[in-house]
Amino acid sequence: MEFQIYRFNPDIDQEPYIQSFTVEVERGMMLRDVLLEIKRRDESFAFRHSCGEGVCGSDGVNVNGKNQLACITPVADYTDDPVVIRPLPGRPVIRDLVVDMSDFYHQYHAVDPWLKRKDPVPEQENLQTPEQRARLDGLWECILCGCCSTSCPSFWWNPQKFLGPQALLSSWRFLADSRDQAEDERLNDLDGPYKVFRCHTIMNCVDACPKHLNPTRAIGHIRNLMLKKSV
Amino acid sequence: MNLIRRNFDVLIIGAGGAGLNAAVQLAKADMRVAVVSKVFPTRSHTVAAQGGVNAALGNVNDDSWHWHMFDTVKGSDYLGDQDAIEFMCREAIPTVYELEHNGVPFSRLDSGKIYQRPFGGQSRGFGKEQASRTCAAADRTGHAILHTLYQQNIKARSHFFTEYFAIDLLQDAEGGVTGALVMDIASGEPMILNARATLLATGGCGQVFRTTSNAHINTGDGMAMALRAGVPLQDMEFFQFHPTGVAGRGMLITEASRGEGGYLINSEGERFMERYAPGAKDLASRDVVARAIVTEVREGRGCGPNKDYVLLKVDHLGEEVVAKRLPGIRETSKIFLGVDPAFEPIPVYPTAHYVMGGIPSDRFGRVVAPAHHGPEEVVQGLYAAGECACVSVHGANRLGGNSLLDILVFGRLSGLDILEYLGEHPRHRLTDSSSEERAMARFQRFDKAGEGIPVAELRREFRKVMEDHAGVFRTDEIMREGMDRVRDIRSRLEDVRLADTSRTFNTARIEAFELENLIDVGMSIVTSALHRQESRGAHSRPDYPERDDKNWMRHSLYFLAEDRLDYKPVRTKPLSVDSFPPKPRVY
Amino acid sequence: MSRHLSGFRAWMWQRASAIYLAGFLVYTLGYLIVAPPLDHQALKSWLGGSGMWLATALFFLALLLHAWIGVRDVILDYIGPAGLRLGILAAVFLFLLVCGLWVLSILMGVL
Repeated sequence: MEFQIYRFNPDIDQEPYIQSFTVEVERGMMLRDVLLEIKRRDESFAFRHSCGEGVCGSDGVNVNGKNQLACITPVADYTDDPVVIRPLPGRPVIRDLVVDMSDFYHQYHAVDPWLKRKDPVPEQENLQTPEQRARLDGLWECILCGCCSTSCPSFWWNPQKFLGPQALLSSWRFLADSRDQAEDERLNDLDGPYKVFRCHTIMNCVDACPKHLNPTRAIGHIRNLMLKKSV
Repeated sequence: MNLIRRNFDVLIIGAGGAGLNAAVQLAKADMRVAVVSKVFPTRSHTVAAQGGVNAALGNVNDDSWHWHMFDTVKGSDYLGDQDAIEFMCREAIPTVYELEHNGVPFSRLDSGKIYQRPFGGQSRGFGKEQASRTCAAADRTGHAILHTLYQQNIKARSHFFTEYFAIDLLQDAEGGVTGALVMDIASGEPMILNARATLLATGGCGQVFRTTSNAHINTGDGMAMALRAGVPLQDMEFFQFHPTGVAGRGMLITEASRGEGGYLINSEGERFMERYAPGAKDLASRDVVARAIVTEVREGRGCGPNKDYVLLKVDHLGEEVVAKRLPGIRETSKIFLGVDPAFEPIPVYPTAHYVMGGIPSDRFGRVVAPAHHGPEEVVQGLYAAGECACVSVHGANRLGGNSLLDILVFGRLSGLDILEYLGEHPRHRLTDSSSEERAMARFQRFDKAGEGIPVAELRREFRKVMEDHAGVFRTDEIMREGMDRVRDIRSRLEDVRLADTSRTFNTARIEAFELENLIDVGMSIVTSALHRQESRGAHSRPDYPERDDKNWMRHSLYFLAEDRLDYKPVRTKPLSVDSFPPKPRVY
Repeated sequence: MSRHLSGFRAWMWQRASAIYLAGFLVYTLGYLIVAPPLDHQALKSWLGGSGMWLATALFFLALLLHAWIGVRDVILDYIGPAGLRLGILAAVFLFLLVCGLWVLSILMGVL
């Protein structure tokens, strides 16, 4: 099978280019295995990867125009030659498939992604019913791979101002937590033209998320909560 | 070359559970903390821990830290240091509560308390009924904990050097540690980080084996740096093979799948663990279950076309339980095997998982090594915590749910002890120029261009050798051959050449550094294993099938110089309770 | 422009106006299909009725508001440089204002 790979090494290349590799596809092969095979043949090829099982979030790449985690994407999903693999879109390329994710991390940091409590610290755990805990499912599993935010046109246009689907999902993860005691503070911080309201429900994020999370729904919850608070 | 030098109070190498938990203690105390990580912190391998963290909270049934301590000592096959184990089991309880207060989304019981599940090797009343001691966030507990710790560090404003690779430790003339030479992966430029105290929290080295649950990054970097700084590695022969890896692939199927009621069957449909461990059955200790699976396959009762795995059944639990309690392994099985465990059994085989050994440290995280007057002298300015350290709380075999506990308790404690140390040591030590030169020489080691052995090729060969010669069952003959071959590979490292010596994000260069680390650590494993002539915990020798407490109830210490071995006694005296004397280990 | 008006308030007004626009359109289209005014005079008197006149005026007000928020969002997305953005925003605003005045003059005519 033919794989067309985006290549760019700033030390050598003036311009990025596409390089083609033909890789024998075996049963059960993931895209990461293909990338590793290409790296075996050409060690100058750079991409991030680590756990190989979709939990560390290192190997987000753009395959035939869609963001994927290479390690949990079966090659068998692709029937048509060639498969085009590019870096995550909208981010500055450092080398080959490695992109600079600083803006993405800054937006994550910007939503104060930690539990805020005002009450005195109890001797034991804070109590939380299984139902209250269930509200966090589909939110806390995010692995910060960046597939969602880098597929979001609003994030492409305003990566320094718009929080993006990932950070908004994380924001809702704390707003939805029965233990968190900073609802008003968080909602105030989210208001303004750029933070939440650059989301135009395009829903590329939902389509891209390799963990099947739904940032658009989380954003909807944030807006509804704002609405509830304002009337 | 214009070498950048920066000064911090504390340098932490590694941003997994141990490093981050230490960093947050120090940053909260307004210390200037530099955390160096070769990957973005939440990509550290703590993220992959599935089952949970042990603490005798007693949320499901009565429990006590003393029972937890007994189980851990027994699980260690009596090689664990009982003072450190007592300390860890006591500290477990406040540690888990602190995690919860910091926001970890633990699963919950109807009472609103933290959900706890049964895990292998756990008992109540010193070896009687099964306990439920493992605090869990579904089957993604490590993910929940690592992300929470990272969040706490953002809040405390720790200084992260993300995607920086540590080349080597720097030392003063007396051998005290003064910081490290690191490399910015993105630019390929070196940088010197000076610190009054340095914590190694670089995690495990599972990449020494071909089939492993460990990530690509788990290359024993901290262990190898310690070796090169003259510090030995302790108990490296004890490497845990997790019983249930995805057959042929190695990624993990959590022990929680058996804790929730799953069990193993062979090709005859027999629930074979009943033969090996009549009491605990599928929840026997990991070394016991892993050996049972390998034995079943060797004796021809494996499943599949090649009869090379056994099956793990959880389908009888019903789809609802699988979806709620084991969503992560369900996803993994579907993706990698095309098997939905809610309806079909999962093909599993043991996979290299965890190294019990590591950099010898005491329960305050201080690195201790023989120097002048005893086996446990403190190395000034150097700490180690997490999987790269050997406190030793796991001895010859680690219990499931104790590794997250280890990294959290000793990560936290080393952070607090470093605070005290900084109070007593207000000034930076002076780095010895020869130490800096050595580190720089290593940094430039792979600059030479030309024809040679490719990194990937040697790495592949090495991992295969380790798997074949230091696996689940080890005989003298197999290991001797293994040692020769690792020596040979080590000598061929000289001939490794990079095809591409460019600076920017050169992952091949990183892999070359990692390969050198792997080989040093691999050598410590085969050397220690060859010389330990007994079977204890994870170290299983068909030629010496019995545990030998008279000669071998002692820790081994491997030194890089001349591949020398030394030994030191096990600390059998706990802090406040009576010792648990060695007994035959049956489950 | 306050921060609030540009974020949450704007979003809320966009939704509220959308609901009104939809309701008005359904009603008028339904009316025109079920009981279409037969000549210009009938149409004029239907529109000139005080309820209908007010509803129509509100319709155009909501339309202009909706359009303003929508177009402004697009400009915020695509036009980065502050000067250019301000210029285009002002042009759009003027255009909408003229449209509004024009609608007003027509509506005054049917009274």
